[in-house]
Amino acid sequence: MVLLNSISPNLKLHPGFFVYIIEAIVMERKEEKLIWYLEQLPQAPVPFDFSFQVMDRIETRRRRGFVFGNFKKLAIVSLSVVFLAMVFLTDLPLFPQFHMSNFSGYRRVELKFCALSENAKTVAVAGDFSDWNALQMEKGNDNSWVITLKVMPGKYQYSFVIDGDEWVPDPGSPRQVEDGFGGVNSVLVVNGG
Amino acid sequence: MTDKSDREIINEVLNGNRDLFCFLVRKYERPIFNYIFRMVRSKSDSEDLAQDTFVKAFSALNKYDDSYEFSTWVYRIALNVCRDFFRKKKMFFFSLSAPVGDEDESELEDFIPQNSFHDPDDVVLNQELRVSLEKAIGGLPIKFREVIVLRHLEGLSYDEISSVTGLPVGTVKTYLHRARKKLQDELNDYLE
Repeated sequence: MVLLNSISPNLKLHPGFFVYIIEAIVMERKEEKLIWYLEQLPQAPVPFDFSFQVMDRIETRRRRGFVFGNFKKLAIVSLSVVFLAMVFLTDLPLFPQFHMSNFSGYRRVELKFCALSENAKTVAVAGDFSDWNALQMEKGNDNSWVITLKVMPGKYQYSFVIDGDEWVPDPGSPRQVEDGFGGVNSVLVVNGG
Repeated sequence: MTDKSDREIINEVLNGNRDLFCFLVRKYERPIFNYIFRMVRSKSDSEDLAQDTFVKAFSALNKYDDSYEFSTWVYRIALNVCRDFFRKKKMFFFSLSAPVGDEDESELEDFIPQNSFHDPDDVVLNQELRVSLEKAIGGLPIKFREVIVLRHLEGLSYDEISSVTGLPVGTVKTYLHRARKKLQDELNDYLE
C-alpha cells in the first residue's frame, strides 16, 4: 500500500480492499482445485456382462408380457363362457336383486289370514305372484298370519295353504274364481296408481 | 460397435430389430453406471438401478423425443430411477434438499484396489483425499449431488444438465455454486 501510495499519492485505497482481493483470488483458486479434484475421481467400473444382463431382462420381460397377455385373454374368454352357461342353464341367482320402490312399478301388498283355531302350525300363501310356490307367512297376534309381497300392478289368483296340504281361499277377499279343480281361488287386484 | 447414429439405431429397434439396442447400452453403460453409483453409493444397488434405467429406456423408446440427445434422455431416466430409489428407501420422508444414503462408507473401494496404479505420492489421487471427496459428495443434498455429479464427474454442459434435471440454467448454476461452496467447507484442509 505504501508502494502504491508512493506511485500515486492521490490514490487512497482502504487496506480492506486488498484483503478482499486476496481472499477472492484464494477462493477462486480453491474452487479451481476442488473442480480439478472432482474431475480426477475414478469412474466406477461396469460389470463385464452388464449389457447382456440388460438385454436378457428385456427379453424376459417381453416373453412374460406375451404369455401374460395371452393368458389374460384366455382367462377372460373362459370366465365369460362359464358365466353365460350358468345364466342360461341354471337357476342360480347370478344377477343382483334390486330393491324395488314405487318408482320402479312394484307395489307392497300385505296379505293377512286369520285362522279360526290355534291348531294351524304353518300357513303359507301361493299364487300367480309366486308361480304357485308356497310362501310361508309369519304368525302375528290373535291367530293371524301375515306376509308382505312386492308385486307389479295387475290381477293375481291366490290361495292360502294350511299346514302344507289344506288349500283355503282368502275369506277377506271379495273376488273369487274357479280354480279348475273344483275349488276356488281368491283374486288380488293391485292397482297401478 | 456400429457406425450408425443413435437415432438410426433407435429407428431400427422400433422397427423390430430389438437386438440393436445392445449397442446403445454398451455406448452409455459407463457414464450411466457411474452417475448412478455416485448418487446411490452402493455397488449392488447401482447395478440394479442401471439395469432398470436401460430396461425403462427400451420400454419407452417409442416415446423418445429426438429433439433431445439420447444420452440426455437416458440420464433423465437414470435421475428419476435414483429419486424413486431414495423415495422408497426413506419411505416416509423424501426431500431433494436433504442428504440421503450412507455418507460414511463408499463401496468404490470394492472397485479399486488399495494399491492403485496411480502414484501414491500424487496428492490428487491419494486414498485419504478420495475417500474424503466421496464422503463430501455423499453428504450433499440430492439436488446438489445431482448437478455436481452431472457437471464435474460426467462432464455435461449447463444446458444438458438443465434438460436432464428439468431446472432452468440459472438454477443449475446456483445449485452448482452452492454445492461447491459446501464441498469447499468440507474439504478446506485439502484445498489450502
